[in-house]
Amino acid sequence: MIRAIVAVFAFIGAVLAIPLGGFGVLPVLKRKEPGWSDAGSYRDLPAGEPQERRFFEIVKKGWQEEKVERAVWLVRRLDGSVTVFSPSCPHLGCGYRWIPEEDRFKCPCHISVFDISGKVLGGPAPRPLDTLQARVEGNKVFVKFEVFQVGTSKKMVA
Amino acid sequence: MLTKLVDWLDERIRVKSLWKVMTERPIPGGSSWFYVLGATLAFIFVLQLTTGIFLAMYYAPTPDHAYASVKYIQEEAAFGGIVRGIHHWGATFMMVIVALHMLRVFVFGAYKKPREPVWLIGVGLITIVGGFAFTGYLLPWDQKAYWATVVGTNVAGTVPVAGGLLLRIVRGGDELGAFALSRFFAIHTYILPWTLALLAGLHIYILERAGAGGLWNAAQKVPDKSEPLFPNQIFKDSLFILLVFILLLSFALFAPAPLEPQADPTDTTYNPRPEWYFYFVFQMLRIFEGRFEVIGTVVIPNIVIFLLLLIPFLDRRPERSPRKRPFMMTAAAAAVIIVSALTIAGARAPIVGAPAVTSPSVLAGRVVFAKSGCVACHSIQGKGGTVGPDLTRVGSRRDAPWLARFLADPKAVNPGTIMPKPDITDQERQDLVNYLAGLK
Repeated sequence: MIRAIVAVFAFIGAVLAIPLGGFGVLPVLKRKEPGWSDAGSYRDLPAGEPQERRFFEIVKKGWQEEKVERAVWLVRRLDGSVTVFSPSCPHLGCGYRWIPEEDRFKCPCHISVFDISGKVLGGPAPRPLDTLQARVEGNKVFVKFEVFQVGTSKKMVA
Repeated sequence: MLTKLVDWLDERIRVKSLWKVMTERPIPGGSSWFYVLGATLAFIFVLQLTTGIFLAMYYAPTPDHAYASVKYIQEEAAFGGIVRGIHHWGATFMMVIVALHMLRVFVFGAYKKPREPVWLIGVGLITIVGGFAFTGYLLPWDQKAYWATVVGTNVAGTVPVAGGLLLRIVRGGDELGAFALSRFFAIHTYILPWTLALLAGLHIYILERAGAGGLWNAAQKVPDKSEPLFPNQIFKDSLFILLVFILLLSFALFAPAPLEPQADPTDTTYNPRPEWYFYFVFQMLRIFEGRFEVIGTVVIPNIVIFLLLLIPFLDRRPERSPRKRPFMMTAAAAAVIIVSALTIAGARAPIVGAPAVTSPSVLAGRVVFAKSGCVACHSIQGKGGTVGPDLTRVGSRRDAPWLARFLADPKAVNPGTIMPKPDITDQERQDLVNYLAGLK
């Protein structure tokens, strides 16, 4: 009889675990294709000199539409194309910066060093700076903002 | 393996004697299907706690976001409708089973010596369950939530002398707003669960101390008929719990918890109704009007609770057989009949301006009307602009097909009109037509 009692509650627990587990976990696992955000003017970008840009991305989290402030590094190459770097160091996610005197990106946390193309020149960073999708339309630069996992040698969406 | 673990624990924290205390409580007269209700209530409480905690992961207790977050839970989040459905129907089951549990204890005379304290705590538990239901249904911040709570809290305002102060404290101000919602949320999710858990624990523990009542004539029968709680009673409890769980799950799956349009404090067409298990209170407010209202809102409910508390002290004869307690049985039957009659009368209470509220489409149409800027030019019941025609009785001038054609393309129907083509979806237009056609 104790087996029957245990079976009843095991059954109820198992049946409940499906909706509760799914409800608790699935909505936050859902990935949304990021939208294009306006990252400002193209003409004002100096050629060959990284520039930090801030903009607001409209992020929909469940029921909430939020304006989230984002920062990215834009690099206008000499051929006119634009490279956009995610603002987080691929080592542990600190915000790195451009040091113009040294012509390098440097991360203040563990002193990872990158060149203007994002290549690792020194420090613990396991991969080059993460690039973001970008397109130029008229005088505007549009960026698809994404967050990547840090600490891995492969670039993966977080 | 399990035996080893039990032995290991027993050597250290004596789990075997704990198990004995918990399961060997004798039931005079043996196990019975009548005794399964208490355990079922404990089960539903755990179910409500679990689903409630999960709902809180996505719910936002502020007037700006409460409705959107519940709508998200109900319509978008994976399994959200089921989890909310279990919580919604769990509340209904709780109300019904708690009433049956009390009735069972009453009929069996189980509140008599030495179990008076168990009964007293039980009365407290019932008021807490009612408090759960009342604070819970403001949380979605839909029309029903808002209006039922406006009326419900106004009941506190009818208390003589302290009413005004009490109303402000309950509502968190003079109007239902952010403070009302956050304090209802705090009461519903922090204060009441802890209080219920502690009191229910005490309820069960002192029943253990006093001993179960069992069947009323057990003493006259062979004394060995007494049976321990485990295994037969717990087995019966489990099977009944399984039945209730399956029933509850079916409700959650096939009858989704309702969600009306977002709360609209300016709405004059809405007919506020509480959940059905509060219909008897609602009906009482309709019986006692004007200066007698306080009788329905304060005097009678307090007398009822007071009487419930007094029962074990008024009825002190040791006789427990229902057949030999004709007065108490008549009183119980009268209470059941009165509550049922009030509930039925409450359910059949006439709805004012029926067409405006009967269908969800009409309610949705009202929201479309408010959202789409119609009030800039048109007025209804004196509210709105004067550029366009007054629409208070538009339904008596124009029928639904005409309204549908006109709203689809005003200039096609009336080339001279200055009415712009509304920028709404087909569904919204249909809802708007249903709303306007009902204005007569």
